[in-house]
Amino acid sequence: MAASIGNFLKPWRPSYSAKFSLNLVDYSLIQYIRVLVTRWARYNPYYLEPEPRKEVYNIPETELTEEEKKERELKAVRPIKAAPPALTSSVFNDPMISKFINMMMHDGRKRLASEIMIQTLERMKRIQVEKYHKAPDAEKPEIDCNPYAIFHKALENCKPVVGLRNVKKGAKVYQVPTALTDNRRRFMAMKWLITECRENKHRRTLMYEKLSQELLEASANKGSVVKKKHDLHRMAEANRAYAHFRW
Amino acid sequence: MRIVWAPEKEALATHFVLNVIINCTTIMALHRLHFGLRQTVTQTRSLHGSGLIQQLGSAAVEPEPSVRPKHAIFRTAEGDPAQHSEQHLGQYYTLPPATIRSLFPQGLPDRFQKQVKTFNECSMMVREPALEIISLLKRADYSKPPIHYMLYGEKGTGKSLSLCHALQYCFSQGWLILCVPDAHLLVKNCREILPSAFNSSRYDQPMLAVQWLRNFRTTNEHFLSQIKTTRRYVWTKRESTEEGRPLKEIVEHGLARAKSSSDVVGALLRELRLQVGRPLEGGQEPFRLAVAVDGVNSLWGRTTLTKERKIEMAPEELTLVYNLRKMLKQDWSGGAIITAVSQTGALFKPNFAYLPHELLGEEGFVSLEPFLPVPVPVYSDKEFESCYQYYIDRNWLQHEQSRTEDGKKELIFLSDRNPSVLERVCASL
Repeated sequence: MAASIGNFLKPWRPSYSAKFSLNLVDYSLIQYIRVLVTRWARYNPYYLEPEPRKEVYNIPETELTEEEKKERELKAVRPIKAAPPALTSSVFNDPMISKFINMMMHDGRKRLASEIMIQTLERMKRIQVEKYHKAPDAEKPEIDCNPYAIFHKALENCKPVVGLRNVKKGAKVYQVPTALTDNRRRFMAMKWLITECRENKHRRTLMYEKLSQELLEASANKGSVVKKKHDLHRMAEANRAYAHFRW
Repeated sequence: MRIVWAPEKEALATHFVLNVIINCTTIMALHRLHFGLRQTVTQTRSLHGSGLIQQLGSAAVEPEPSVRPKHAIFRTAEGDPAQHSEQHLGQYYTLPPATIRSLFPQGLPDRFQKQVKTFNECSMMVREPALEIISLLKRADYSKPPIHYMLYGEKGTGKSLSLCHALQYCFSQGWLILCVPDAHLLVKNCREILPSAFNSSRYDQPMLAVQWLRNFRTTNEHFLSQIKTTRRYVWTKRESTEEGRPLKEIVEHGLARAKSSSDVVGALLRELRLQVGRPLEGGQEPFRLAVAVDGVNSLWGRTTLTKERKIEMAPEELTLVYNLRKMLKQDWSGGAIITAVSQTGALFKPNFAYLPHELLGEEGFVSLEPFLPVPVPVYSDKEFESCYQYYIDRNWLQHEQSRTEDGKKELIFLSDRNPSVLERVCASL
């Protein structure tokens, strides 16, 4: 029996998986093994996904559906995949911020990227809180000190409404205004912010200083990134005539 | 642990508690030593202060001390460190900007300085170690040699700020303050090093000395004209200071002639050592002297400075360190020595070393004995709550989750109630 458990935990490749120790396995899994297409998957198909959310574990058993009950029972006997580093159960976790960190990351240096982000948030908050305490009482409620709110607002202000797409039509390339998906809009806003900070930065200023400055400006609907968005909008407006080329 | 009763050294011990001269070399012994000393302190209280306790008891029955918290439970309006007592534990008191400017011209610890700027006020928490030192300072006998209080504790537990709090007590009592805010800077990254003109085997650090003299002058402006020199000092062939001149003159000389500034520091310390506790000219009261050194462990051990041919310099070869060490010898009377050992900024020390013996090394430990170790712990539950409320009050915790119960639990988990770590974690929330 011990040997069979050892097999469960072995590193695994799809090529020989179908052959090994199927007689030990629940036969309902066979189909699952065949459709498993992830290349380089190192886990046996018996491994379950980790669940970082705390509240899932706090639901009493009586309130669970049949499926969830089954899943919970399976968790007692099946091995679980190691949680990837980005997966967290922290209450302070913000998916948009982690996305931004990942986009800022170079060479897999995530530690550095997230440190820059933390410093950026701190700096934004320092600037705002200092302003708050120096302001007269009447103006205090207008000052937003929450760096997360500032970040989200800035990102929202940087997202373009329409984009351009190159369409080849009769040996000519037209720039055709198109609608953008939410994903693409988010990508463009983040990319613009990051490239702006990387390229138009004085060599003595640090990344977090520039980034916090840009974010604060963008949250007030000012700054070069917002300008870039307006440029794109203007270009789309100018190319309205080509709009029918998009099919 | 060996406890040696040494009657011949009785002159050294300044009150009952320190009659016990303790020679402990093991790390564990220090904990026990401190525990033992505390017990003795309570014993003394119960032995000699029974009347006092009755007085205190009757005072406690009285409705309320005149000081009431101004805004909230985590604040106290009591700004005078001499009045701080157990009832203020964990509460924040505010330092007036004028005091900071004159007492800490070199600035406070880096992160705290930033916080002061952000919050537009300088508030410090009243904590156990500083209170302990202050209460001992109040009861000490100043005709005897000074007691050496040594703050120690893990990284970021607030040793430097406790030192500042105790120093503020001395300042409010009108003591002369001799403060070295970060002794680690003396033994590393020094820009200018010159061979000493006074003693060719030593080296001067003119820029550091000038900077220190300037801060010293700011803090002790009015003492400098009262205290007179006791001998003639010859700085160079042409320049000298006669006997009986005010100390201000030699300080000004040091500031004007950077080359002899390190020697001026030495002369200044010598004068202070000789004259402390003695009545001044014109029948004035003798002044008290508080020597405060943060990062005292860097005065022993190794340096990163080099002599010619890249030979490593020993700390005692530096004039400033040499003179400062003399100041820490308890051969003068009428004051107190307050120091802190810290790993932060120390050279060639393991990351998690924090006990005095680990940081000072054998040599430093032996030469600083006897001293009174004062541990600086992490926040207690009450202190954490107070700090948390203070941050919320100052608008410092902005993440909506950080104000919930779950967020608070996570903050405790992340910081382990370490003040510095808590500050860093909260900084981005």
